[in-house]
Amino acid sequence: MGKKVGVYVCTGCGIGDCLDTRKLVELAETECRAPVVRSSSAFCLEDARLIRDDVEQQRVDSVVIAGCSSRVNAEVFFFKPAFVERVNIRERVTWGQPANDPETQSLAEDYLRMGIVRAQKAAPPVPYQEATERRVLVVGGGMAGMAAVIAAAKAGFEVVLVERSPRLGGFAARLHRQFPKHPPYRDLEAPAVAATIRELEQLPGVTVFTSSEIEQIEGQPGRFSVLVRREEGSAELRAGAIVLAAGWMPVEADVLAGYGLGRYPNVVTSVALEEMAAQGRIVRPSDGREVQSVGLILCDGPEDAAHLPYGGSVSSLVALKQAMYLREQAPSATVYLLYEDMQAPGLYEYFYRRVQEDPGVLLSRGVVRSMGEDSDGGILLEAEGTPIGGAVRLKVDLLVLSTGMRPATLGPNGPGILNLRYLQGGELPTSAFGYPDSHYICFPYETQRTGIYSAGAVRKPMDLAASAQDGAAAALKAIQCIEKSSAGAAVHPRVGDLSYPTFFLQKCTSCGRCTQECPFGALELDEKKRPVLNTNRCRRCGICMGACPVQIISFNDYSIDMLSGMIKAVGIPDEFEEKPRILALACENDACPALDMAGLRRLQYSAAVRVIPVRCLGSVNSILIADAVSRGFDGVALMGCRPGDDYQCHFIRGSELLRRRMDNVRETLDQLALESERVQVMEVTISEWEQIPQKLAELDEIVARVGPNPMKGF
Amino acid sequence: MAAATLLQPDLNFKQRILSLGGADLTACYQCGTCSVVCPISTADNPFPRKEMVWVQWGLKDLALSNPSIWLCHRCGTCSAYCPRDARPSEVMAALREYSIGHYASPTFMGRALSEPKYLPLLFAIPIIILLIALGLLGRLAALPEGQVVFSKFMSTTALEVIFIVATALALVGAALGGARYWKAMSRLDFGFWILDFGLRTGRPQSKIQNPKSKIQLIPTLLDILQHRKFRQCQAEPVGTRRTHQEHLFGAHLAIFYGFLGLTLTTASVMIGLYVFGYFTPWPLWHPVKILGNVSGAAVAIALVVFALRRNPDQARPGKNTYSDWLFLWILFLTVGTGFLSQGLRMLEMAVLAYPTYFMHLVFVFFLLAYIPYTKFAHLVYRTVALLYAAPSGVAERSRPQALAGASAPPSEGLAP
Repeated sequence: MGKKVGVYVCTGCGIGDCLDTRKLVELAETECRAPVVRSSSAFCLEDARLIRDDVEQQRVDSVVIAGCSSRVNAEVFFFKPAFVERVNIRERVTWGQPANDPETQSLAEDYLRMGIVRAQKAAPPVPYQEATERRVLVVGGGMAGMAAVIAAAKAGFEVVLVERSPRLGGFAARLHRQFPKHPPYRDLEAPAVAATIRELEQLPGVTVFTSSEIEQIEGQPGRFSVLVRREEGSAELRAGAIVLAAGWMPVEADVLAGYGLGRYPNVVTSVALEEMAAQGRIVRPSDGREVQSVGLILCDGPEDAAHLPYGGSVSSLVALKQAMYLREQAPSATVYLLYEDMQAPGLYEYFYRRVQEDPGVLLSRGVVRSMGEDSDGGILLEAEGTPIGGAVRLKVDLLVLSTGMRPATLGPNGPGILNLRYLQGGELPTSAFGYPDSHYICFPYETQRTGIYSAGAVRKPMDLAASAQDGAAAALKAIQCIEKSSAGAAVHPRVGDLSYPTFFLQKCTSCGRCTQECPFGALELDEKKRPVLNTNRCRRCGICMGACPVQIISFNDYSIDMLSGMIKAVGIPDEFEEKPRILALACENDACPALDMAGLRRLQYSAAVRVIPVRCLGSVNSILIADAVSRGFDGVALMGCRPGDDYQCHFIRGSELLRRRMDNVRETLDQLALESERVQVMEVTISEWEQIPQKLAELDEIVARVGPNPMKGF
Repeated sequence: MAAATLLQPDLNFKQRILSLGGADLTACYQCGTCSVVCPISTADNPFPRKEMVWVQWGLKDLALSNPSIWLCHRCGTCSAYCPRDARPSEVMAALREYSIGHYASPTFMGRALSEPKYLPLLFAIPIIILLIALGLLGRLAALPEGQVVFSKFMSTTALEVIFIVATALALVGAALGGARYWKAMSRLDFGFWILDFGLRTGRPQSKIQNPKSKIQLIPTLLDILQHRKFRQCQAEPVGTRRTHQEHLFGAHLAIFYGFLGLTLTTASVMIGLYVFGYFTPWPLWHPVKILGNVSGAAVAIALVVFALRRNPDQARPGKNTYSDWLFLWILFLTVGTGFLSQGLRMLEMAVLAYPTYFMHLVFVFFLLAYIPYTKFAHLVYRTVALLYAAPSGVAERSRPQALAGASAPPSEGLAP
């Protein structure tokens, strides 16, 4: 191998009291033949110097530290240029297992063996760097887009803004009023569109293309090549990262047909009312008469969920705003506001109170059940579930229906907004509700295409103030992406990871599975249908490595060979010893920290379990499971995230893909005449650490029931 | 399900309630905390939450035609717990005040007692009547000579005529008002208003029995004599602010029995006078005299408690309305001038005693004749509401477990 491995066994934090650390040292020296082996209780303190000296003077290039979890002391145990492997015998062994027990000792020894194998097989990653473009492309010139342009330009980046319509401002430019943005949050304001446009135009490095559309986008973060279709002909430009701020569109009118929209002239949408207000007086569309009573309904009842399964505060606030300006226009008018949920988050509470104070605005919970028109064009409503007492009827001159918000990407022009030239398609993949998003809690702004960030109402329903914040935030993410890409590092979620997958193409069968399974569309195909990596699109999850049927994909510091070697490093007692062994392949993001937490809380779980961290369960190639079972492991636990619409996976599809691969695994086990229940998938979230002993005990029970693996000793 | 009612909000009504001390009403967002803590609220009758939305929506008929607002004794627990400081107890007080004017017969009297500009007129009526009586008796020229004896000044017969007529008119007014209230309640069939919150659907679980067939007069009167509702008000510790519950039970009991004592005193004097020919003034040691004085003192003390408890509350805007203070002052001045005339009489200060006595008569007249239109009318409406609600069980409540502390009074039902 030609690698010089140094092994450092820590005896502090109770490790020395629990384990025979001399035996660990001996194991490293003799069995693993490590040239440098040391032991101390103060490697994280003054003795860190010993390791540094070994790296600098003895040319140790792989440092194995058997001690605490890699989640602590990362900055202490950083010895460039050596590769550092942390063997966690503190949280995973000492703190959770009985002291001076042969099984505890054996657990620690196995972890040390596995760590040394990993150190021997891994190489420090070398970043893949190419010249990158430092320009940000913003698509959409509404509030979010303009805020993104301003934020990026102020950070010193060149920005190109592409807007489909002839002028900037987006939906905000069509508004009559916006709800309050300034203390005391009681008065309506004019949308600050003109001021924002002025600010944007005065900033250096900003190019605005109006009446323009994206013809196509190729490339990857740092090197996007963009074709803009303009009236004067196409323009070509390059960009480092993209902010998508395409805005929203109202739900289709037929969704509201049940409320009489389109059937009765005096039923309008909140968008239509806003436009009427912006143009002048609000009158009844049927006869132009002044309105004396207006019904505003939020259309957010249980039955409306069939049309739009989500709600939001925007429609509440819009209705409050419209109630307020309707009353300002006609002080003798009565405005009824019916809702299922009134949402006025944060400081908008003051605004809600302000509207409540108006005696002419009558608010109540209630769901409109039926409606009709009377002889003079008035609208009769029957509402249920009101606190007023059962069903009630109301007669109004004008009925205003809240308009649900959907992302513009779902609109008629949606597919053509970005026109990505990606193998996986031209559009951004969407989350459950059709929004181009990856994970709205953990990774806001990030879409499922690296380097493309969504902001504003195209990301989730939001108001102007939130859109402006959103735009600025997404611009900063775009800048982060440009910086990381230029350093050859992953942007997120493995921020700064310099490794990337390489493909041993001579053995590639051109099956294309890696290109299909990559959640981020990082892989394209060459003319021989073999994968080509766009490094800066890659998030380094290793899902391609898990997918490849011929195992030709590997990272410098993460490969099937490495994982397989670690599996083989575990000492399997023979079947007469009645000491089962269980392999746990655990997701680094959630399951591993949960295991550490269990150790921190001194929870004891099965000492038969040997944990190998994996980047994502999606990176687990089924051959590894077959390896483990044929090696004699009695059970395999695949500890990872929850799949589905509310997935928890950092890489979106990892846990889902693993479940699909499990069919193959079961088939393989059946062929070997082994019980497929030996392999169990476990959902573990970081906050559910207290369930870990129970979950592993269940697998213990299964193993006890089906008996020891008959493959032991082969 | 019956056809839904077409709602016709009366925004003037809403404005009026806002100005009668219910200004914070607008803050209510119908969370229902008030109904959870209210001692008289039941699962079927979420008081005062539903009244809050009725007023917010200007639904005058609904708000005024139900017994709950008069079953409420304003302990203030709802206001103490209200998360938005909407002060439901003040809104209910405003509703009661409004409903006294609303049901007043003749209607004009309702307005006269609720607007300060009519106050001089209201005083002018007894003053003129009493002056005419004095003129007819020939007492306007000079005060009676010798020992101060009030019957020498204003003959007992004249007083009897005036006050019997005034009381009779008041009784008629009270009966008419009470009847109108009863009728309004029957029309909307409120005993069992089961509200549909979207949680349950369908008709109310049961229809009210014809209340007239089951009027529970004796239990209701016993209820009133024991102040049982008031006692319910003092059960639980309060939320963020003080309530009225600490003083209401005791003070109201004192004022209630004080008035009862004063009524008994008057009756005894009449009986003494006509049956036994026992002329006034009676000596201070006489048991009837003692009863009168003790009752008067009880009323006076209770009034002081009420007034003092009102004062710290004045920081709250719009809380103390004109009719609140008018009622307190009239009571106070009636009792005050009563004691003062007695003292001045015993001191033989004729020049002061007779005019004070005259003023006392004016206040007594005010108090008696205007009973159905002042806050005193609660006597009428609260009794009507209790009578109306008793058979339906609306007045009873099984207290929610969370609030039923060990000290909570057992809610033994009077209704079988």
